[in-house]
This record gives sequence, C-alpha cells and structure tokens, in this order.
Amino acid sequence: MNSLRSKGFFFKLYSWLPLIILLISVLNEFDLNYLNLNYFSFNFPFILIFFFTLKEFKHFDYLFVFIAGLFNDTVIGLPLGISSLSYMIICIATSYFRNITIRPDPIKDWFYFLFIISLINSLNYSVLTLFFSFNLVLMNYLIDTFFTFLFYIIFVSIFKYYLRSLND
Amino acid sequence: MASSRDDFIIAIRSAFLKRSTQQKFSLLTLVFVSMFVILLSSLDFKVIRYIKIGINEVVYRSSFIVSIPENFLINSFIGISDYSTFYDDFKKNKDELNKLRSKNILSEITQNENKELKELINDYVSTSDKLLAKIIVDHKSPFLKSIIINKGSKDNIEIGTSIYDQSYLVGRVIEVNFKTSRVLLLSDLNSNVPVTIAPQNIQAIVTGSGDNDGEIKYIKGGFNNNFTKESIVYTSGTGAIFKSGVPIGILKISENASKSDLNVQFYSDFSQLKYVFAEIVSRSEIKSSNDNQTSNSTIEAKIKILENEKEIIEDSNTKFKEENDYLKTQVNDLNDQILNLNNQASKQNEKIDQFDIDKEELEYLRLNLVYSRKCQTKKLFSKGYKIGTPEYKKCILNKGKKINE
Repeated sequence: MNSLRSKGFFFKLYSWLPLIILLISVLNEFDLNYLNLNYFSFNFPFILIFFFTLKEFKHFDYLFVFIAGLFNDTVIGLPLGISSLSYMIICIATSYFRNITIRPDPIKDWFYFLFIISLINSLNYSVLTLFFSFNLVLMNYLIDTFFTFLFYIIFVSIFKYYLRSLND
Repeated sequence: MASSRDDFIIAIRSAFLKRSTQQKFSLLTLVFVSMFVILLSSLDFKVIRYIKIGINEVVYRSSFIVSIPENFLINSFIGISDYSTFYDDFKKNKDELNKLRSKNILSEITQNENKELKELINDYVSTSDKLLAKIIVDHKSPFLKSIIINKGSKDNIEIGTSIYDQSYLVGRVIEVNFKTSRVLLLSDLNSNVPVTIAPQNIQAIVTGSGDNDGEIKYIKGGFNNNFTKESIVYTSGTGAIFKSGVPIGILKISENASKSDLNVQFYSDFSQLKYVFAEIVSRSEIKSSNDNQTSNSTIEAKIKILENEKEIIEDSNTKFKEENDYLKTQVNDLNDQILNLNNQASKQNEKIDQFDIDKEELEYLRLNLVYSRKCQTKKLFSKGYKIGTPEYKKCILNKGKKINE
C-alpha cells in the first residue's frame, strides 16, 4: 500500500474505487442476470451503498449516490427518481443505525440490512404498481431481496479487506 | 421512557440533517429532491421531456461503453459454445435454406398480391423501410424486459414503431430520444399484442410472462380445446398497433392439474439479440379518381406492381426451366438404365433356355444308358428302332415303351 501511496494517482484511484464500482454497477447492471438463471437476481448497489455509508467512507458522497440512482433508473427504464429515493433511504437508515450503535456487530448489520432492503423493495413495488401502473411480479422482488441479503455477507468480507488495505 | 423517545428523535434528526464535512447536501434535501424528480417524471412537461432525453442519451452511451468488457466476455463464451454445435447447425441450416429458397418465390408473389389487395381495401398506400439498428444496452433485468437501440427520432423512429428480428416481431418502441430508443420486448409483463391463432383463426391477446415467453389471454369466445401444439400465432392488426400478419411464435399447451395454460414460444430468442430492424412506415392517401394526376400515379403504381410481378414470374419461369432441364437429364439417364437392364434380362433368359436344353439332354443320356437295349434294333425278330431316329429318342424318354405298345 505504501508503494501505491507513493504513486499519487493510483492511490487516489484506489481510494475512489467504491464510487467507481457503484457507477459501473448502475450503468452495467452488475447482477449476473445474463446467466439467465431462473429465480436468481440480486441488487449489488444496495450492498455497496449500505456498507460504505454505514462505515462512513469519506469519499462516499450522498450527491453522487443520488446521481447514481438517476443513472440506474435511466438504464433500467424506471421512472426517474425511484432508485435515488431508495438509495437515499439506505443512507438515512445507515446514518440512523450508526447513531444508535455503540458496539458494531456484523450479524446485527446483516439483519438490519435485510429489514432495510425489504422496506425499500416494498416501497418500490407499491409506488410502481400504484402510481405508475407497472405490471410487476412480486416473487421477483422477494427473490431479489433474498439473494441480496445472502450476498451481503460475502461482499462485506471483500469490502472489509479493501478498507483494511486502504488504512494500512 | 421520555429519554428513550428523545434519543430516537435525536438519532433520526441527526440522520436526516447532519452533514459531515465531506457531504455537500443533507439527506433530507436529497430525499425531497428525489420525490420532486419522481413527481416531475410522472408529468409530461416539454422541458422535462427534453431534459430526460438528454440524460437518456448520455447514460445509454455511457452504459454501452461500460458494458463493453462484460459483453466481450459473454460473447466469447457464447462463441466458444457455438463452435461445439457448429457442424450440426450448418447441416441443419443448409437443408432449411434449400427448403426456404423454393418457398421464397411463391411467398414474393403472395406478398405482391396481398399488397395490391390491401391497397384496394384501404384508401392509402403503405410503404415501409426496415432500418437496421444495433442493440446498445440489454441488461436482461428480471423486472422489466426492454432493450435500447441506437436509432432515435433522428432516424424517424416514433413511439409505437415495430421492431423485428429478421421477420419476427420482437417488440415496439416506448421511448424515443434523439439517437437512441427503448424497445419494450414482447416478453415484458406490460406488453399486450392482439393476435390471430392459425389455423383455427381465433383472435386473442398475447401478454408477456416476464420470462422468455408469452401467455394467451382474453380469447374471444373463451378457452376451448380446438388448439393444437402446432398452432401459429401472428399479429392480427386489431387496433392498428401492430401490422397484421407478422409471425410471433408457436402455441405451447401446458397441461396443469387444474386447467390448461396456453403459452406462446416466441420465434426469436430475445436473449441473443444483437441487431434488430425498425420498421419505418409511411402512409400516403389515395385521392379520388377524378384527379388525373392521382389516377396517373395510381396507374403508375399498379404498373410498377405488375412489372414486379412480371419480374417474379420470369424468375420463377427461369427456375422452372432449370428444373425442367434437370428432370430431362434425369429421364435420359433412367432410359439408359432401363435399356441396360433389358439387355441383361434377355441374356439371362438365353442362359435359362440353354440350361433347360442341357437339362433335357442330360436326362436323355441318363435314360439312354438304362433303356437303350429295349429301344434299339436287334438282329433277329426285334421291334426296336434305329439309333438317332426321333422314334428311338421318344422310346428312350418313355423309358423303353415303344410307340405301338
């Protein structure tokens, strides 16, 4: 890491990596949907935003997250602002959770994450079906929530490794 | 109790309003902005529409660029797996191509006739150009089945423009930007297409299932058992949303315990689309026959159609001639073969005759050894015959019995 630190540009790029990945994932829909597996999808940006806002990562700007949400809506074809609102709710939830937590516990974080994504997906489903008359399959949302919850713990271990390498 | 409520309020207030040094906006502000954007996007103001088009253009292009490495990997994987079935596919395609070539001429004639009849029924001439478009974004979302193509209002694409994969319907345009458009695929839950099911000639609506197939809904007269698995589904043109007679897929009947479901297996595989055709339709009204110019143009159009038809007939004649020549050659070959076979047969008959003669001679010689004494002439008082005479031979063949006995 010291060698990276000495190379200013690369270190900067490395420290901005979560934001770059967020941008790529919203533009590219990094969720392995192209595998065409039935009953499989997960929401990577939810995991990324939840983890890095919970850890109060210094480069994770809320405005950038908001813009990423707009990009996501454009790519998927949802009404503008839906994903931004979802991402902002995650940010609020993590901010609140940070305020009330004295001793962080990964398992508590994990189940709190499940609660938050369930809430957000319910909200999304309700808004899209009630206000925008979209035909959606509820089962897809449940599956998405379940796999996002499962994948959280895997990605968190990778993100923790990243944070450790950054702090070293 | 009161203190815990205060703590909760403080934590919530802090979450909404507190800004760390890095953050430029509080979360509460951004939440309100999000809600405002959602409200604006549901309203169809001109300014908002243009802003949205601008954002779409930038984001679609960015998404295309960002997706390049992933698409490269996916395409490489598909390419490698295709190689394993390459030879079988080639043979199958070759057979299919030969069949299709023979059908093509008839199809062209029918199309021309169809066009002419449609012009007689409707009061307008409909001409269509198919525009090749590349798919720049296709993320296969489980929630919404849509693709982005690289043609927009600049290329005369409009909302509702039909999109094809070869000649099969894929979907229609639901959002148009300057150089890009979003296409809602037939497999999407929000897609509804009026169709005809042939050969039963039943009108129905096909809606997307959210997976890779469609479901038959709202059949006129209700569900019945007349359908077969080979039934073809094509657009009926009802409601003038889609052009009539465009093939969509074949009927799939799945028998459940409670009821039978009717699904449509689309001809086109939406997960493998790379290029599609957008049909730009232009309609020109046919004015009353009093107008000389219009009648001239109608006659010219008809002449053109007839010329086209003539060209097609000439083509088919040439093909028939070629087929005729080929058949003649085959007839000659077959005649030669028949002649050869006749020769062979006559030779074999000769052999058989010779064999019969030989057999008879052998029998005579065998009997001669036994009965020659009885039949030949002896010196004193004998009634025999002279050797070599026909009577002698007859006597031998009668096993020694003489003619008078």
